[in-house]
Amino acid sequence: MIRRVQVSAALALLPLAVIPSFRRLSAQDSSRISEAQTVLSALVESYGVSGAEGPVRETVKRLLPAWARPETDSAGNLWVRLGQGDPLVVFVAHLDEIGFTVDSIRDDGSLVLRTRGGFFSSLFEGQAGLVHSARGDVAGIFLPRDSGFTRHNPPPVRVDVGASSRAAALALGVAAGSTVTMPKQYVRLAGTRATGRSFDDRVGDAAQILALRHLDRTKLKHAVIFIWSTREEIGLEGAGAAAAALGPTPRRVHAIDTFVSADSPLERRNFAVAPLGQGAVARATDNSAVTPPAYVDSLVAVAQARHIALQVGTTNGGNDGSTFTPYGVVDVALGWPLRYSHSPAEVVDLKDVASLADLVQAVAEIW
Amino acid sequence: MSDSRIVGLSDGKIGLMVLLLSVNPSIRPSAQTVADLTLRLSAMTAVSGYEQAVTDSLVALLPGSAKDRAGNVVLTLGRGAPKRLAVCPLDEPGYVVGNITDDGYLTLRRVGRSPNAPPPPAPPPPPWALFDQQLEGHRVTLFGRKGPVPGVVAVRSTHLQRGRPAAAEQPFTVDDAYVDVGAATRDEARALGLDVLTPVALTKRPLHYGTGLLAAPFAGRRAACAALAAAALGKPKTGGTVVVAFTVQSLQASDAGLNSVMRLLGPFAEVTVAGVPAKFPDTAVETVALADVETLMRRLVSWIGGGQ
Repeated sequence: MIRRVQVSAALALLPLAVIPSFRRLSAQDSSRISEAQTVLSALVESYGVSGAEGPVRETVKRLLPAWARPETDSAGNLWVRLGQGDPLVVFVAHLDEIGFTVDSIRDDGSLVLRTRGGFFSSLFEGQAGLVHSARGDVAGIFLPRDSGFTRHNPPPVRVDVGASSRAAALALGVAAGSTVTMPKQYVRLAGTRATGRSFDDRVGDAAQILALRHLDRTKLKHAVIFIWSTREEIGLEGAGAAAAALGPTPRRVHAIDTFVSADSPLERRNFAVAPLGQGAVARATDNSAVTPPAYVDSLVAVAQARHIALQVGTTNGGNDGSTFTPYGVVDVALGWPLRYSHSPAEVVDLKDVASLADLVQAVAEIW
Repeated sequence: MSDSRIVGLSDGKIGLMVLLLSVNPSIRPSAQTVADLTLRLSAMTAVSGYEQAVTDSLVALLPGSAKDRAGNVVLTLGRGAPKRLAVCPLDEPGYVVGNITDDGYLTLRRVGRSPNAPPPPAPPPPPWALFDQQLEGHRVTLFGRKGPVPGVVAVRSTHLQRGRPAAAEQPFTVDDAYVDVGAATRDEARALGLDVLTPVALTKRPLHYGTGLLAAPFAGRRAACAALAAAALGKPKTGGTVVVAFTVQSLQASDAGLNSVMRLLGPFAEVTVAGVPAKFPDTAVETVALADVETLMRRLVSWIGGGQ
């Protein structure tokens, strides 16, 4: 026993060599940046593939201010209502992230997958995997290809959980319909930058939470609803249900979602150029909606009144607010610049997160 | 980087650890010992020519071991004839910073070749063609002068490719890699302790899965070194002299580490190279069975004692 303890003591010293001293990177944070990081990191490290957002929804509930009374609708959306009177203004950020579901289990125990959302499957090939089963998370690997080595894109990826048969995989709790991701971690980079997977749209979720924590409910001149929506990545489904429930009642909807930025060494810069670190972005035109120019001007005026950094631009993608527009509701989408969207290495600037939260608060209070 | 900072210890703690091991010269290597060592070594990075963090840790772990002039970790067990060599190459292919752009991105050059390749000029195995692609859109660690620095390798945003012609079908290569550490200028990157020649590798997070499987980049090589280290830690009965060597630079240039050992400490009557079977070689999920690592450890103990 003594020998084992001594060997363990020796081995315990080894891992210290690989524990990076990343903490120093956040030593100089302001309280705003620090709070944004605390909220955002908890959300990023929760898992929620489209249709299985439960863990993220619970994290949102935990982070809300004590006065909030969240309600979950039949689509899985989380609602927080505050203020009274017209016009009703809605904010919506989505809970879900891209990933896979198990489509079937082969005789050899490997899992055949179905994608949920749009992304490059090459980013998952040959990486660690995580199957979210009813009995807990099961570790595995996304199998590397066994042919086609001269091509960038792999054949459909499968997962190996170390089971040698279908029965063995089932015994681990894996089943058709289980969601599949890869392990993820919020990591601070230099300055106020950070990396992780699913910043799209956990930054939007965080901004709504931060705004609710700081806004002055006595200043509200009208009713406001904050929604954390489900299944955005597979067709704006949760928001669609919320929009149908509210009909033409809201005056405006503010989708709080990613502004995919061309601020990257690999992107063409003919549009979507919103540099990181220069504030929130009015997502004035995307593939799903156009904000009327007069509303963009009003938004800019709100930001100026509160001295909030705001960029205005156009990017690709759809947003939850577009499901409200058929009911006559104006979609004024807000975002923040994101690099490397839908990858395991998305990058944000925490100054932009704080800016976005301030803007959401200002819009709720004074517009 | 100083020795004490690399292993996260003060010199005094290193001394205490060595003392603890030295007063118990016959520690029995166990399955748990070799499994723990495999996990820990698999989490470490040793780019060919830049193996110092791993070699420092092995020297701290193995009482009586030392680094030779090439940087190999060498431990001599027993005395007399015959003189034999048990060796484990510990380095891995990886990258060093080749340049820093004005806007703070770091570009890379590859160092080392596939551990699974036959000697040049024979071509590497087909999966090697995708080795660099594993960087794309993933976390890397840069081992700078002020300590490890996290970064990511840039990838095109999915959304911004929509409506545009499909991207090139060729695999991503090291020439496509831009490392983003959060710096906005060259000076900001340098202030983090980064510069040309800083070693860079995929961030390693070894993964246990299935029953006794461990996945990590170069898990096979690290597992073999763990088995040899565990065997040596046990100070087994030795038949003659056995030199235990953990060699560097096996994948770059002329296998300088092993050749140095052979010339400086040889000739050897017999040489055994530690090796563990691995699935998915040259990938980030190279997989070993811990049972195989334990088997290798026991075989090495027997070999050191004079068996085959």
